[in-house]
Amino acid sequence: MSTETPGPDITSRPSGRAARERMYRYVLLLCAAASILVTVSIVVLLARDAITFFTLVNPVDFFTGTEFLISRNVYGLLPLLSGTLLVTVISAVIALPTGVAAAVYLSEYASDQMRSVLKPGLEILAGIPTVVYGIFALVYVTPFLQAIGLPVNTFNILSASIMVGIMIIPMVSSLSEDAMSAVPDSLRQAGYGMGATKFEVTTGVVVPAAASGIFSSFILALSRAIGETMIVVVAAGSRPRMLNLSDPLANLFQGYQPMTAAMVQINSADSVSQLGFTSLFAIGLTLFVITFLLNLLSNRIAARYREEYE
Amino acid sequence: MATREPETGWHGENSDVNHLRGRAFEATCLAATAFGLVSVLLLLLFVANDAFRPFSADAGWLATYAATVLVPLAVLAVYYYRLDEPAGEVAYVTSGLPVVGLLLTGGFAVLFIELLSVLEWFALLISLVVAAGLIVAHGRLRPKAALERLGVVLLTPIITVFGLPPTRFNWFVTDMAAALGLDFGLYYRVISLREAIMMLPFVPTDWVMLILTLVLPVAGVAGWFVEQRRESRRDGLAVVGVTTAAAVLGVVAGPLLGIGTDVWLLLVTFAALPLGVYVEGVLRRGEGVRGLAFPVVAVVGVAAGAVVTGALGFAGPDPWLDWGFLTSATSRTAADAGIYPAMVGSVMMIIVIVLTTFPVGVGAAIYLEEYAPSQGLTGKFVTLIEINIGNLAGVPSVVYGLLGLALFIRVLQWPQGSVIVAGLAVGLLILPIVIISAQEAIRSVPDSFRQASYGMGATRWQTIRQVVLPEALPGILTGTILALGRAIGETAPLLMIGAAASVRLAPNSFFDVASMMPRQIFSWSSELDPAFRHGVLAAGVITLLAVLLVMNATAIVIRNRYQRTG
Repeated sequence: MSTETPGPDITSRPSGRAARERMYRYVLLLCAAASILVTVSIVVLLARDAITFFTLVNPVDFFTGTEFLISRNVYGLLPLLSGTLLVTVISAVIALPTGVAAAVYLSEYASDQMRSVLKPGLEILAGIPTVVYGIFALVYVTPFLQAIGLPVNTFNILSASIMVGIMIIPMVSSLSEDAMSAVPDSLRQAGYGMGATKFEVTTGVVVPAAASGIFSSFILALSRAIGETMIVVVAAGSRPRMLNLSDPLANLFQGYQPMTAAMVQINSADSVSQLGFTSLFAIGLTLFVITFLLNLLSNRIAARYREEYE
Repeated sequence: MATREPETGWHGENSDVNHLRGRAFEATCLAATAFGLVSVLLLLLFVANDAFRPFSADAGWLATYAATVLVPLAVLAVYYYRLDEPAGEVAYVTSGLPVVGLLLTGGFAVLFIELLSVLEWFALLISLVVAAGLIVAHGRLRPKAALERLGVVLLTPIITVFGLPPTRFNWFVTDMAAALGLDFGLYYRVISLREAIMMLPFVPTDWVMLILTLVLPVAGVAGWFVEQRRESRRDGLAVVGVTTAAAVLGVVAGPLLGIGTDVWLLLVTFAALPLGVYVEGVLRRGEGVRGLAFPVVAVVGVAAGAVVTGALGFAGPDPWLDWGFLTSATSRTAADAGIYPAMVGSVMMIIVIVLTTFPVGVGAAIYLEEYAPSQGLTGKFVTLIEINIGNLAGVPSVVYGLLGLALFIRVLQWPQGSVIVAGLAVGLLILPIVIISAQEAIRSVPDSFRQASYGMGATRWQTIRQVVLPEALPGILTGTILALGRAIGETAPLLMIGAAASVRLAPNSFFDVASMMPRQIFSWSSELDPAFRHGVLAAGVITLLAVLLVMNATAIVIRNRYQRTG
């Protein structure tokens, strides 16, 4: 909280000290402005190579192409987007309901003792490195899925997405819980006063009142799933392919290559043409724009609900 | 915020209120909360089983250790939890401190083995101290010359640490001057104080230098801390004295025990000193003394177990995660593979991050909380910065890797996959996290503190340095340690900047190509051999998670001890 400037400086010798105070201010301002510099350099440096790429590959072909094969200089984004979409949807199916239910429990039902165990526990889930989640998926979850009879390949999108889902649960639950805790108690009391049960108050009053906060947590979690790299690199395979719309269930058991995984693969490949290498930046810029827009949207929604009750 | 369950009675006694639906809903929500936790816990058990292979031991071995270690500790834990909570905290801290101390000891030992000799460390530290002394002296002698001091502050460390390059042949102006018959400029490189110390014909032995530059300063800080806490100069001096005595004792006793002198000094400084101060405090206060039993029982139990299993000839397990794994390089054969060079890489990367990201992040947080105006053009700029920081925190890590690749490797032409590039790329990634957590810590310092400081005539910077920062420091430290934990586990940026898939030799300069722990683990994950997949890989994962666990536990302890209540 910035305080007001203290009155005129009457005690100190003005010359040197004022100059020094000014100097510290500017040095610190420079530190703060560094974050702007980071954003600008991301945009500029990614755009520089992406523009080189788009002068050689028609952007329309890039965004609507259905095949991605660097060795044949075919760059279509849709197969990579299919992978990203699958990961996002499956992990959302797992994480969104679970996260909201966890938030409801923590905010409305849990005793203080339960909360003191469960909340840090969920935070730990968010702190585990993603490469570890990827190894969980590849080495333990996939064999487990095979053991219970699902026809999954060694590399498959299902186990990767399950792990992405578990990873983003804490993001949904903690932000949603904040939103539910911000709902004033008077609303709950009013509900009880009308003779509603706790279940009715929770589902009929608290959750709708916190809806915008919950929604903003959803968007943030989706953005996180879209940008998740290591889990899909380790466990989802390295073959870009299009969604199979005729047999939707079969999609789950195959390997896909989402955008992030493709970026890693292009970068670590031994011999990549100059054009292939610049495609890395085109994909990266697309990813950056998508996640940046989602984050902005989430902040907008979150800012609106804060105004409502404060 | 949970409200009290409404009193049943006036409306709820009649049977038409259905409780079943509510109960089922509550149970579902609890199950959802537990789902992620339980599944990850199960997976962790599988990994730990693969890494330690406890069931490869004789049944007798397991039973012996269960009887000597597990059962007594479990009994103690239940006792603390039920009956003596302060003792539980003492037990927690006294078991945790040695672990953190050992981790720090390991980190410094790695530094002295791989990165710089004790002499280099000594010379560097002395020249930094001399530089600081010069700056302070200048401040005393010419307190008004602020701009001059800026020059002194910038130049003195450069001169003492790096020296002055020759200017005569590459500086345009001196060439011009020479053409005119004037002659000035430096013919030869002026060596720095650091290099001068290293060229001394005789230098003190390693242990003397370590005591002077590491043991004494740390002991001094601890002594100062104790002095402040207890307002007793004698206690503070006692801490310094005992620590130094223990350090010197080790020089004599270390070789007899088979511990290297350097390692002994590090152990005294980072493990024994904090533990000693804490235990002494507990004994003096007499609060939770029973907690001290926990580590004692653990050590005695392990020793007793070793004696019994040795006498009865029970064979222990054959874990993948053992001393050899921690101290050797990776290999084609699973049995010989280890993680040591990658650990060195991670430690060096953390150094880069601490030196670059931490000052910038805290500086930005100070500006945003203490200086930033809310109106006018600058005000709009500050709002933009705030929004931008929030958004940067959500940018995928792989994009930061791409930024590192484009900026440091393609534009600045720094060596691909080097420690410094990795540290800067990951540092940029955690910068927003450091800023946001430091902002929260600074914001939690009550405004009345600042007003009091201003009221005594302090300037804004004096207030920040003397009042706000010391108050906010525990919070800033907590946030930074958590962010560093995130940094240690990040893999995607390392892949993008081309960190080595596996290195045989640990890096010994910041511009060396290196591998880091998560990078090494990722390369093992593509091995098909089950010995790698269920052995080496699991051991690597457990090592990484153990480091993270210790860091996070430290952060939480700091937060709980210094949390502002109310």
